[in-house]
Amino acid sequence: MSEQFRVAVDIGGTFTDVVVYEETSGQFRTGKSPTTPDDLVRGVVEAMNAVVDDPDAVRSFVHGTTVGLNALLQRRGERVALLATKGVGDSYFIARGHRLDIFNIHHVRPTPLVAKPDLIEIGGRLDWQGDEKTPLDPADLERAAAYIREQGIRSVAIAFLFSYLDGRHEQAAADYLSAALPGVTITMSHEAAREWREYERTSTAVLSAYSGPTVRDYLSRLEKGLAEKGISAPVRVMQSNGGIIGIAKARTQPLQTFFSGPVGGAAGGEVLSARTGRPNLICVDMGGTSFDMSLIVGGKPEILPHADMESFPALMSVVDIKTIGAGGGSVAYVEAGGLRVGPESAGAVPGPACYGRGGTQPTVTDANLLLGRIDPGAFLGGKMRLDVDAAKTSMDALAGELGLDPYALAEGIVDVINAKMAQAIRAITVERGIEPRDFSLVAFGGAGALHAAALAEALAIGEVVVPALPGAFSAWGMLQSPLRQDFTRSFFRKLDDLSPAALDEAFAPLEADAREALRTENVESAEVDFRRQLDTRYVGQEHTITMALTETLVDDFHEEYRRRYGHASPGAPLEVTTARLTLLADVDFPAVSALAEEAVPERDLPTQTVIFGRRSHDTARIDRDALKVGERLTGPLIIDEPTSVTIVPPGWVVSVDGFKSLILTKDAA
Amino acid sequence: MTVSDPITNEIIRNSFLAIAEEMNNGLVRSAFSPVIYESKDSAVAIIDAQHRVLGQSSGIPLFLGNLEHCTKVTEEMFGRDAWQDGDIWIMNDSYISGTHPHDVTVYAPLFYRGELAGFVASRAHWLDIGGKDPGVAMDSTEIQQEGLRIKPMKIVQGGVERTDVIELIVGNTRFPVSCTGDLRAQFVVAELGSRGLVELYDRYGRDVVETAAEVMFAQSEQQNREGIAKIPDGTYSADGYLDSDGISGVPVRVEVVITVAGDAMTIDVTGSDDAVRGPMNCGAVQTVSACRLGFKYLINPEQAVNGGTFACLDVKVRLGSVLGAQEPSPCQFYFTPLGLLVDLIVKALSPVLPELAAAGHYGDGMILQFSGTDPRTGNKFIENEPHVGGWGGAPRNDGADGMIWAMSGAFKDMPIEVFETKFPATINEYAFRPDTGGAGRFRGGCGVVREYTMLLDDCDLSLWLDRSQTPAWGIEGGTAGAAPDLIINPGRDDERRIMKVNRTRLRRGDTVRLMTGGGGGYGDPAERSHADIARDIAAGYVSASAARELYGYDA
Repeated sequence: MSEQFRVAVDIGGTFTDVVVYEETSGQFRTGKSPTTPDDLVRGVVEAMNAVVDDPDAVRSFVHGTTVGLNALLQRRGERVALLATKGVGDSYFIARGHRLDIFNIHHVRPTPLVAKPDLIEIGGRLDWQGDEKTPLDPADLERAAAYIREQGIRSVAIAFLFSYLDGRHEQAAADYLSAALPGVTITMSHEAAREWREYERTSTAVLSAYSGPTVRDYLSRLEKGLAEKGISAPVRVMQSNGGIIGIAKARTQPLQTFFSGPVGGAAGGEVLSARTGRPNLICVDMGGTSFDMSLIVGGKPEILPHADMESFPALMSVVDIKTIGAGGGSVAYVEAGGLRVGPESAGAVPGPACYGRGGTQPTVTDANLLLGRIDPGAFLGGKMRLDVDAAKTSMDALAGELGLDPYALAEGIVDVINAKMAQAIRAITVERGIEPRDFSLVAFGGAGALHAAALAEALAIGEVVVPALPGAFSAWGMLQSPLRQDFTRSFFRKLDDLSPAALDEAFAPLEADAREALRTENVESAEVDFRRQLDTRYVGQEHTITMALTETLVDDFHEEYRRRYGHASPGAPLEVTTARLTLLADVDFPAVSALAEEAVPERDLPTQTVIFGRRSHDTARIDRDALKVGERLTGPLIIDEPTSVTIVPPGWVVSVDGFKSLILTKDAA
Repeated sequence: MTVSDPITNEIIRNSFLAIAEEMNNGLVRSAFSPVIYESKDSAVAIIDAQHRVLGQSSGIPLFLGNLEHCTKVTEEMFGRDAWQDGDIWIMNDSYISGTHPHDVTVYAPLFYRGELAGFVASRAHWLDIGGKDPGVAMDSTEIQQEGLRIKPMKIVQGGVERTDVIELIVGNTRFPVSCTGDLRAQFVVAELGSRGLVELYDRYGRDVVETAAEVMFAQSEQQNREGIAKIPDGTYSADGYLDSDGISGVPVRVEVVITVAGDAMTIDVTGSDDAVRGPMNCGAVQTVSACRLGFKYLINPEQAVNGGTFACLDVKVRLGSVLGAQEPSPCQFYFTPLGLLVDLIVKALSPVLPELAAAGHYGDGMILQFSGTDPRTGNKFIENEPHVGGWGGAPRNDGADGMIWAMSGAFKDMPIEVFETKFPATINEYAFRPDTGGAGRFRGGCGVVREYTMLLDDCDLSLWLDRSQTPAWGIEGGTAGAAPDLIINPGRDDERRIMKVNRTRLRRGDTVRLMTGGGGGYGDPAERSHADIARDIAAGYVSASAARELYGYDA
């Protein structure tokens, strides 16, 4: 049998990354090609060409794209007409009357995705139990169809009150419009999100109607581009919920593609967790402008039931990824005599002072360069030489203002940004009642491994893992992610009233949907899991916790509540609000076994001066490629590779495990 | 590590904020009352041993910088030795905390290595605190009618809950379960805050943390002094009228006189009217907070609040006035005068801070309260909610349409689906109210209409709507926004208009139509672009006839 490949492609802002897994040799290979914003598919195909020569050998293809998110960010989505319940359609524009910035009297809301004249109210109403109070008004539907036709609108969102209980009015309106307006895309809120809260459900439907056409168009072109290249393998897409899905289904739920890039990092964490037997991971991705964090707890990524998309809510499961403005480009400045770092970033242009593109304010990258932690000649594999003098000049000005030595300032800038990132990690862990010290820190992205040991130190985390291929970790994770689809519906009951039969009845339609989904996905695996969950809370509370439905649900809830909030009320009555069913199907990724330890040569590494803790240290440098499996080296040490730099500070040791990950630990000696 | 190292200082400054955020998240997530978890009517602070704020977080801007007052007054009353490790204190006294009795403050001393090292505090709005009416009364004439009054006392002693005290307090509320839940959530917050501060002391040492705090206070003070120094020296004033205290039916004047001298500012509100009979008086402490909020709108709004922030601001309040409530003045709607006061501070300084100016906003909570017994369940219910309205136009933007007023912070309105599921009434209409935003180069935001119909035979409605006497004013040539209005049973024989009432009876099928006010316009309407006017007409924010009349615009 000829070589078989599994391929994952992740489109980033600058580069499109490919990871190829060769089934027979068990090797991973990576490729990279500039992202082509005018026609993203071309970049994907070019990146593939670099590493895959035989299209027939590709047996699976997974893709991560943020084309939908970009359409939202750049406001290039489809014009949407919104059909809403008569009298209350403005709810979408009132957006719950909410503002976050409570000290701002010049508050301007984000421009809604529906232009106000494109809101069309339709008579007809259901009550709080889903029973019809007023029938749907056919004259209103006729008027709506005429307006949509006359305006040439191609996408319609329908969101009526209480449709999460009964979708018949939405369905009837959709049936009418699809007959009257062939070719127009229709999104019904009860299909987009079967949960209560009309603003949030409407917003979900509108987001979907707005970005759906862009996503679908892109996916179609991708499918065509791959077919032209001769690839006949099933094409699957990474979703915001941490699993993958067939391209046909992805077209019907475009919002699930929005965060597929960053979610790949969490997917990589999940794989790493399973493979190396580390149940609890904090995954951090540090680039030029932002620092993304996600958690793997007990081997699973943390999933949130609701998402925020550029201030628009979406009722859908997403991997919990928190982002703060901290990266290599974060700018340092003085305010009222105090040092501040970030969240503003110098970005790519002008970029850090050392890029020599006109930046004059010192950044975190300038600080790392001045401290000797980044090699000016090895940046981006030597493709871009950094200007140490420019970094020094930028630092001098600020150091003078603060009365500090420029090197002390440089280390201070690194310390401040590290403290901010450490606090952000604290917030996502401690808030959930999790102790960071029970976790390993997985660092990737361009700057992650530069700061990881210091972050671990600040959080009393004992171990840092820098995976192989840190620049393509997301694509690597996607390659091995399970198929996943989530099914939900509002389901209000006191837990005491819930019999097993009532539960089966509640989950039956969700399970029927899941089985149907499974059938259409042509899953090759026998490893299929239907996971039942219930959003649970104390009677009278609002916020729920999504709990696995097991025999011990009640005890588990009290326990989980105590873990998160430090107190619980055992014995207090519980109620459930939402039934959730998650379909998970393994993609049968071959087991990857650890490599055997290799003979380690005598090392006589060149050293240079690097500052740690305000003191100069003779620090060795080595290329990551040169490291051997099983090798163990003592810090201070710097490990260079084309897209990343790993710092092993004094007092830390690094070893190379059987998966070629770097494992950094505090030196026990 | 040197003691005044700017790097360590910055790390510690960020830590104070992070601890406060963690505390507030913990409170919002574990609270039982929607007014806390949905409306975020809560605040937390970590405070140093000299009663200065290190970090705070709040969903309500009005709780800005006054939690420390509670620890300070307690110490004045009982002496510094009263603070004991393992104790937690509670209070809600309006004349100490400045707010209404529903706002319960829970605070604890923090001991580090056996010494008093600071305090952690939280304040949360409880659903019910006793008093003559369920929820809140719109016609109280003395504080005792508004609820149980708790002066500073210990509720946890030496780590042990005083169950007798807890029983006394929750036994006086109509919702003992949720109030107990909220109280426990506040205990958790004390725990979270203490843990965070102790970790910080452990990591850096108490002296380093305290030095960092001093540096932080000095930086905040310096920044604000620089901000004030940019304003020309002089006296700036504004005044306006509240509709009525709900009892006397007489408008109430609020006056602000602001003096800027070099890098210091004084806000003097002593010229405001005497205290009123109805529940519209405000404790001096909360008046100070409102002045701080107005100040903060204009001076370094993005800066975090700490013990140095308001060092350059002096507030003068006259005890016995509507803004300096004394026993037994009722305080339930203490925030209504403050909504006007904050708007007036912005108005007074707008001529000299043109970039930061804004026209007036609709300016009151527009509170409706329904209570009764739900015929579907037989359970008692109270639904009390503020309503959104229009904000003022500003130098670069139109005022926001239908957004919650200044005093309610990060509130979210109750979804109709949630409302109708929980309460026996329907919402027929929730829509923008056209032509309610004042005209201007940047127009005021529109108010909204929210119309309710009752699905029970016997329901009590209480109302508290203000700002019809002094609706949102325009500035720089803009016109005023529309005043609020409320009609019961519009178009029926028994139609009536009413703005404030305590427990009026509604029957099945009765309709309550609330119309909230708009924001004022900014700048000359003649300068508004035709494209913007056309867009407003198409969107329904401005009618064609109003466009003609106010803007001279013909499509």
